[in-house]
Amino acid sequence: MGKSRKKVQIIILLLIVILGGYAITTQVSGSNGKPTEGSKAPNFDLLGLDGKVHTLDEYKGKALVVNFWGTWCEPCVKEMPALQAQYDKWKDKDVVIVGINAGEDKMAVENFVKQVHVSFPVMLDPEKDAIQSYGISPLPTTFFVSPNGKINKIHLGQLDLQTLDQQIEELVNS
Amino acid sequence: MMKEVIAFKNTKCECGHQNPVGTVLCEACGRPLEEQDRESNEVLEMRYDGMARRSQRANPNFIDRIWNFFSSVKIAVYMIILTLLGSMLGTIFPQENTFLNIDPSTYYKETYGTAGWIYYKLGLSHTYESWWFVLLLVMIGASLVICSLDRVLPLYKALTKQRILKHKQFLTRQRVVYQGPVELESKEWVEQASVHIKKRGYRVHTLDNALLAEKYRFSRWGPYVIHIGLIIFLLAVLARGLPGLHMDQHVAFPEGEIKHIPNTSYYLKNEKFTVEYYSEQDLPKEFQGKNKVLPKLFKTQATLYECTANCNDPSKQPTLKAVDHHNIEVNDPMDYKGLKAYQFDYDLTPVLRSVKPSLVDKKTGKDYGTFQLKIKDPERNYKVGPYSLELKEKYNDFGLDENGQPVTKTPNPNAPAFLFLIKGPNLPAEGVHYFYFPKQVDKERFQQDAINAKMNGGSVPLELDVKGMGNVDLSMSTTYLNIRVDKAMPFVWVGAAIVMLGLVLGFYWQHRRIWLRIDDGNLTLGAHTNKNWFGIRREIAAILRKMNLEVDEKSLDNGGNHS
Amino acid sequence: MSGLLNFSSNMFVVAFFLYCAAFILFAVAIMGRRWSNRDPESHRRKWGNIAFGVSSLGLVLELTYFFTRWAGGGHIPVSNMYEFMSFLSMMVMVAFTVVYLIYRKTILGLFAVPITIIIMAYAAVFPQEVQPLIPSLQSYWLKIHVTMAAAGESFFAIAFAAGFMYLLRTVNFSSTDKKDRRQQRWVEIVFFSIILVISFIITVFAFRAAGYESVFTQTKASGTAGQTTSVTQTVEYKLPPIVAPYHSKVESYQPFLGMTKPLFSAPSWMNGINAGRKFNTIIWTVISGIILYGILRLIARKPLGRAASPFLDGIDPDDLDEISYRAIAIGFPIFTLGALIFAMIWAQVAWGRFWGWDPKEVWALICWLFYSAYLHLRLSRGWQGRQSSWLSVLGFLVVMFTLVGVNLVIAGLHSYAGTN
Repeated sequence: MGKSRKKVQIIILLLIVILGGYAITTQVSGSNGKPTEGSKAPNFDLLGLDGKVHTLDEYKGKALVVNFWGTWCEPCVKEMPALQAQYDKWKDKDVVIVGINAGEDKMAVENFVKQVHVSFPVMLDPEKDAIQSYGISPLPTTFFVSPNGKINKIHLGQLDLQTLDQQIEELVNS
Repeated sequence: MMKEVIAFKNTKCECGHQNPVGTVLCEACGRPLEEQDRESNEVLEMRYDGMARRSQRANPNFIDRIWNFFSSVKIAVYMIILTLLGSMLGTIFPQENTFLNIDPSTYYKETYGTAGWIYYKLGLSHTYESWWFVLLLVMIGASLVICSLDRVLPLYKALTKQRILKHKQFLTRQRVVYQGPVELESKEWVEQASVHIKKRGYRVHTLDNALLAEKYRFSRWGPYVIHIGLIIFLLAVLARGLPGLHMDQHVAFPEGEIKHIPNTSYYLKNEKFTVEYYSEQDLPKEFQGKNKVLPKLFKTQATLYECTANCNDPSKQPTLKAVDHHNIEVNDPMDYKGLKAYQFDYDLTPVLRSVKPSLVDKKTGKDYGTFQLKIKDPERNYKVGPYSLELKEKYNDFGLDENGQPVTKTPNPNAPAFLFLIKGPNLPAEGVHYFYFPKQVDKERFQQDAINAKMNGGSVPLELDVKGMGNVDLSMSTTYLNIRVDKAMPFVWVGAAIVMLGLVLGFYWQHRRIWLRIDDGNLTLGAHTNKNWFGIRREIAAILRKMNLEVDEKSLDNGGNHS
Repeated sequence: MSGLLNFSSNMFVVAFFLYCAAFILFAVAIMGRRWSNRDPESHRRKWGNIAFGVSSLGLVLELTYFFTRWAGGGHIPVSNMYEFMSFLSMMVMVAFTVVYLIYRKTILGLFAVPITIIIMAYAAVFPQEVQPLIPSLQSYWLKIHVTMAAAGESFFAIAFAAGFMYLLRTVNFSSTDKKDRRQQRWVEIVFFSIILVISFIITVFAFRAAGYESVFTQTKASGTAGQTTSVTQTVEYKLPPIVAPYHSKVESYQPFLGMTKPLFSAPSWMNGINAGRKFNTIIWTVISGIILYGILRLIARKPLGRAASPFLDGIDPDDLDEISYRAIAIGFPIFTLGALIFAMIWAQVAWGRFWGWDPKEVWALICWLFYSAYLHLRLSRGWQGRQSSWLSVLGFLVVMFTLVGVNLVIAGLHSYAGTN
């Protein structure tokens, strides 16, 4: 009885440690289900202005800057030229800038994009699916995603145009 | 070597039975084994009926130490109290999870000042999700498992190995004792007594001049049933966190629209939303005349659809099939295959869905025809009579920015505006630009005619006019439903039910045992129960009275603290 | 319909006076033992039986109040603070009746009946009108959860009475030993807490009878950048304002004892419109409590604990300990079922989540954990008797905070209707 008792004790204690560890880690990190810096970027499945469906996997291996925006949001509009400039600069260096519009009509988005001369890929999220899975609350929000698919940085609010260049460089090197 | 010699005790009892090391009372006759114990007159330690308990061994190794830690009742009480105190802290300020849309890093400081800031920094704004709180619960869970395992087996062994004839000292040192002469011959007395004792629900075993009566043994398992229930409950709560077993989101459903429920293949249509209020007469006098509005009922008539094809392709329209219909009210959610929709909130602001304006000649009043203009995702090109209208721009919530340029202020269709390019007979070749506000208030507020005149260097000969409310499609309300999936719930309820069973078994019945023996016309009786000594004293007094022995209940009390 | 409701209110009042009579009769039964020329034991038994009869009659009338109000109001009367507290007082009488019938201890009546009386009087402080149920309360779970929770809590009230009696019986009031002095002091604090509740009720009723009212308005600016809206709210004080709401203006002020304006304003972190009024009520409660305590001390000419202790002579403290434990043992499963499990089921059905860490839910859990600790501690020899009694006293205070404090102080989904 002695030896088997010890075995039983160890098994039970191990189970407790495993379950306990699981309980604590799931509660403490990402209990909201919202993605955080360091976690994997959620997938999206959206129709682009080019008429094609785009997913996150398309951009695997490239550094990705995902900018969530809307035409009514002043800071979003203000940062568009800077984003476009960065897109042009880093285009050939495996960096993609992608804009996801939060729930507006195709026409409004198309007109806007034409007006502001944006050529980087823009996608529509009419059901706000991506907005939800990325846990977006205020607009604009920008996600910097490393080539391996992990979220490097989440920026809430208007981008700091001066450091944007630096941030992208960091992203490429991460 | 010396340690083992000293630890070796003679565990063979006078009666001949060989007891395991650590036994307090002989397993056979109940006589105390220790010399000191035999000489004392104190009430016996009846835990496990004096049997040896394995976990109290000498030289505990590391595993044993952890085991004993979680097995101890004292530690369990500490953990319960710490959980209690920790829970209190979480009620000082509202927790983060009570809000749908705030930024915790600023909210607490702004609303509650320094105290709020400290609260947030210490992590107390999400007390119940913090690592130390969950750790406490895990430790309580560990204690539940280990303390039960440690005690159930010895208890089972102690209760199943009972002998009828016990040593006199075992009887006289119980907490309920009676000693006195009897008139009948011992066997006869025992037989008669057992009849009366059986009538009270006891299971009686006799052996010549001795008797053992026992009832409600199952009550001893009560605490362990409670613990098992709690363990299942905690595990079920933990399982809720596993992916796929849990969902909780709040979704707005404007009336009349089929809306997708995110992260599922389901769509829900709010067919109609109604809210009823208590009439003035129904309100108590104090509330009447104060314009107090008390809702009586709100319900959403909802239809649930499931997507059967083209579900994940954003470029195509999904095919839907209706699968369920329910009138969702508070306390009455929709429940389809585990997907539940609860009535959460509502908004009665009407939202414009579409209008059917007519294209009218301003001078002659001639009506060229109507077209359907959807507010959300409108068509680009329309043909009305000989005219073509091309939608150039659309604003959901019209306003002017700091440079006087038209922009949309919010994504909500509060003040929709459309810019058309109209081409056709009697119009310039490049067409006229026409700004159109479907809502009359906006037309006036933004001076639609003035804008159009300015744009075209003169007034426009045509106008769009919605003739009558019949050509306006409004969504009268928006209902907010809480969509939930919780597949682990049945286990939560099972755990809770088992806890209740254990509580009832353990507290509403008590395990009672009576031993008696007659030696030379003298009756010695001892009794034991795990709870409610008052009750067993009363019962024994009643039994003895049936045997013509008048006893005062209090006199049966042999001292010792009561439980 | 309203005839039935009037009748039910009358039943409530008559039951209240019957309980007061029962209390006096229990006092006669216990304290009159010395002065009666009869054998003290038969004196106690005779008057004890009469007192129990009166209290049982009161219970019957209170049940009548309950069922006639149910019939007249259309829903079970447990949905607002007044109704719930009345129901709780009724359940305390039920629990007392059960425990009395088991143990037949007359003196239990002397301590249990006042609890019922105080709770009934406290209930009457709140608005009494039958209020129609908002949708979330329209469920049969209302009947089951609330009534069972009250039933469990009423047994905890009896355990409190028995525990307090144990302390009065066993604390050595004539000793000057440091440990004993500490026990004496804590007993006195328990007395003072009970007096606070009584004086709160007396104060509220005194000013209500005088028809006192002062009114304040508070204007708050709110809104987003660019668009500010100001909202003006009014609050009516039913007690003379010593403290005004934060940042408010006097609209009308009835002078009291030469006070013509508030003495000070509530601090900025108490910025709700009602926070100042509640703070004012607390200040008044403390002041009147101190006055009432002072008067009682003057009459008794010694600390209240020492004055009350002799009445418990002759009682076996073990019996009191037993009663206290047994009451908790009976009440704990009922409380678990009613206050926790049925609450979870109802929450799941109404709000979609069986547990949300709402303050009321958390405090119900705290009560449960507390009594769970009590039951575990009783397994250990040293905790029976004195320590147990302190725990049963403290436990009931935790229960009362859950019922009263959480509703009035901490906000949440769970607050009752009509708690102004």
